[in-house]
Amino acid sequence: MNFVKHLLAWSVLCVAVSGVLPVKAAQSTSYNSPALAARLVTVEDGIHPGSRTVSAGLSLTLEDGWKTYWRSPGEVGLPPKIDWTGSQNLLSAEFQWPAPTRFRAFGIENFGYEKAVTFPIQLIVQDPGSALNLKARVSVLVCSDVCVPLNFDLALSLPPGTGIDQQSAEEVAFWVARIPSDGSAADIELRSAAYADGQSALVVEAAHPSGWQDPDIFPELGKNTAFGAPDIRFSPDKKLLWARLPILARSEPPTPLSITFTDGKSATTFSEIGIGSVPADPPFALVPPERALSMVAWIALLAFGGGLILNAMPCVLPVLSIKLTSAMKMAQGSQRRIRFGFLATALGTLTFMWVLAAIVLALQSLGYAVGWGTQFQNPFFLIFLILLLGLFAAALFGIFEITLPAGLTTRLAGLGREGYVGDFATGAFAAILATPCSAPLLGTAIAFALTGSSVDVFLIFTAMGVGLAFPYFLVAAQPGLVAALPQPGRWMIVVKIGLGLLLLATALWLFWVLSAVSSSELAWWVAISLIGTILVIAAGRWRGSLNRASFLAIPIVAVAFVMPILIAEDDRAAAQDDLIEWITFERAEIARHVSQGHAVFVDVTADWCLTCKANKTLVLERAPVLDALASPTIIAMQADWTRPDTRIQDYLEANGRYGIPFNIVYGPSAPEGLPLSEVLTPGAVIEAFETALGGPIEMSQISED
Amino acid sequence: MAQSRRGILTLGLVLAGGYAGLKFGVPAVSNLFAEDFDFEPIGKPAGFRKITGGGSTAGFDPFFGLDDGSDAAMQALVADVEQRVCDALYGDLSGVADVVPLASFSDYNCPFCRVLTQRLAKMEAAANGRLRIAWHELPLLGEASMTAAKGALAAKRQGAYVQFHERLMRAPFQTTPEYLAVLAEDIGVNESQLVADMESEEVRRELQESSALAEIFGFIGTPALVVGRTVVQGEIGEKGLNRLIEQERADGPIEACT
Repeated sequence: MNFVKHLLAWSVLCVAVSGVLPVKAAQSTSYNSPALAARLVTVEDGIHPGSRTVSAGLSLTLEDGWKTYWRSPGEVGLPPKIDWTGSQNLLSAEFQWPAPTRFRAFGIENFGYEKAVTFPIQLIVQDPGSALNLKARVSVLVCSDVCVPLNFDLALSLPPGTGIDQQSAEEVAFWVARIPSDGSAADIELRSAAYADGQSALVVEAAHPSGWQDPDIFPELGKNTAFGAPDIRFSPDKKLLWARLPILARSEPPTPLSITFTDGKSATTFSEIGIGSVPADPPFALVPPERALSMVAWIALLAFGGGLILNAMPCVLPVLSIKLTSAMKMAQGSQRRIRFGFLATALGTLTFMWVLAAIVLALQSLGYAVGWGTQFQNPFFLIFLILLLGLFAAALFGIFEITLPAGLTTRLAGLGREGYVGDFATGAFAAILATPCSAPLLGTAIAFALTGSSVDVFLIFTAMGVGLAFPYFLVAAQPGLVAALPQPGRWMIVVKIGLGLLLLATALWLFWVLSAVSSSELAWWVAISLIGTILVIAAGRWRGSLNRASFLAIPIVAVAFVMPILIAEDDRAAAQDDLIEWITFERAEIARHVSQGHAVFVDVTADWCLTCKANKTLVLERAPVLDALASPTIIAMQADWTRPDTRIQDYLEANGRYGIPFNIVYGPSAPEGLPLSEVLTPGAVIEAFETALGGPIEMSQISED
Repeated sequence: MAQSRRGILTLGLVLAGGYAGLKFGVPAVSNLFAEDFDFEPIGKPAGFRKITGGGSTAGFDPFFGLDDGSDAAMQALVADVEQRVCDALYGDLSGVADVVPLASFSDYNCPFCRVLTQRLAKMEAAANGRLRIAWHELPLLGEASMTAAKGALAAKRQGAYVQFHERLMRAPFQTTPEYLAVLAEDIGVNESQLVADMESEEVRRELQESSALAEIFGFIGTPALVVGRTVVQGEIGEKGLNRLIEQERADGPIEACT
């Protein structure tokens, strides 16, 4: 087969080169539709008395966005077909299939052709030397956003005679060279093909002695068997290819397996493959790539900077302030006390980061990918934070004082370390509060950590913790700094109330997040539970029996934690009051919009993501970005990650991100997408639009004219 | 420190203010960005229209009927359906105040049809009865399309049209008894009823009527939509479709159907 193919290609070429210039082109009149132009071409201008074969081709030129299909079209589609009824002097016609390319449209895998394809056809005439009258009834399915079945007739008459149509010869030769060669003659060796995971996937292993470049795999296993997108991996020297092809549906009974490999311009088909039951092991597990040391150092520096910046974020500021307030109180204390107190706080921060790193590693080893900020999708976590913040605020307002149980205090005092536990807890609390404020630098560092090795994860979380604890380290190193703080006095009450208000504001924000994540009913229940707890504790304090009151508060707190189980989640209604006409995120839709020449702006956001809100208010909903998003050439697509959504998580992962905000622009000139940085600027967004569109943005006002 | 705190407070105020503004202020602003459609009447059937310049479907040969039955029978059916276009298109869905009827024509071998069917089903579910969809099958793409279309129409008779579509999103339809048994259980329909309906005269008749409608409206392929009195072939997008539905609602009941 391979030999025949090369012979055919060569003979066509040789004849083409040596042949005389054609008098008339050996091609049919063209059938034209808005989707394609079709012609029937032959290499020969006439039927030579000594030859029974004629090399012909069905030549299709497809308009932009239109596609047609291979003999196995993939999940949907229909291959082209020719009915030769009515032809004269035709014995047989063999339709041949050049190697296809893969399309992923609407999340569906399709194999076929775009722009142009010529299907070579080997014709055999009945009577050499007599005229050949071809009458082809062609059925072709072409699809863009509509599928149009085209049925048309092409006719071509070849008189007896000789001569070669050079143009047709080149065209047919070009496509003959793209017909996959037979596996037995190829330099590719198919090592094994076997079912894996209870016939839910096909695992294939093939070797290419000169190395694989950019291969694709097209399996055929009966027309009702649909395969999903392949997972293709290589050995380190790129000579061995391993691929796992998910089987989405199976046809019964199964037909023999054939597999077509394409790699650049070459293609090979192996047919009638025996399927084994022991799948080959992949050449490697999908382990994260080794990173250069300088890269790790740079990222660690980023993480440190990110942690430092977190101190100025609204969610951590109150804790930092609590710490400093308590520092003011002990400014009279010994240097040693201050130093160790602040070290304990720093250690608290670091410990929380290490716990986080350990959790991340544990989850990673279980095969989970962990998203940064996703703890805010969990109502229990939110309730915990709300109660904690509410109680702290109440304490700052002077409703009661938070102290450790007397017994514990005495024991700690006995050890001479009074309050260190409190200091430690303050540090851990600051770290917990910092997580939602995933500052821009931090996002990059964490994405790096989550895709990296365990050492990377540990290093980056540590660097982040050191950054976050840096103010505490500073005071620990220079306890004299505390003395520089003003003397306690009336102003402290003002500061306390101010800080209390900040904590209360954070709690109110969390109520709002909770109502978005779960339901407003739950948020009300938690509010009632919080107020109840504060009242019980306050009442207890006034009556002088604080401990008993604390026990009374426990069932009230418990109510808040039971409520998420009892209360059904609200439907999450899409915000209808947006300035921007968002369409709901649908990953498969992106490619379709791009194929129509549109740019797609994807915004992954969530109610708990403050940076997202800032982006929205400061950049997206202001000119010029707002005007650009209203342009008919730009599609605004929003993925709401307020609640857990694996589709969105998968999408983020595919883009190497583990936290939000995530914004990316797709377009005809950037089909793979242009990811934007976490903090948007109008200039960067507009520039991305123009790059993606390959030109200036067409504004709606202009387009209406 | 004071400086940075002031900055943060200002940012907080801006965020809070912006949010309040959005929540309570200007929902109407988004409508300002919508463009109006220009319509032009289509030649046949009378009273229907299309969007001027919309879609990429001009220039195709119009579709001609299924190769099912003789041409004469088909011509007779087309003539018959022409007399009662609204009824064949929408059944009893048209003519209800404030309800926009939408007819969807799709085929299993057409990639975009799958996406559109899901989208339409979601829109219908979200519209609280103010958008009603008449599902038609237009199996133009071979034998597999035809059997799947019969399956879909049979499932429709047990109220499982959308479920049938969802089930077929990733797996080709097969007619083996084993496959049908699994499918029937998955989408929650009675299997023997499904099998019987697939080959019933009623389903065959429905396919032929859809095909006649496609010929009357001059569809060139799938998917094809008729939204109220507006024919849509080719891309319109979710936004555009929603706007068209609102336009149809504003334009009131279809004159040609009353």
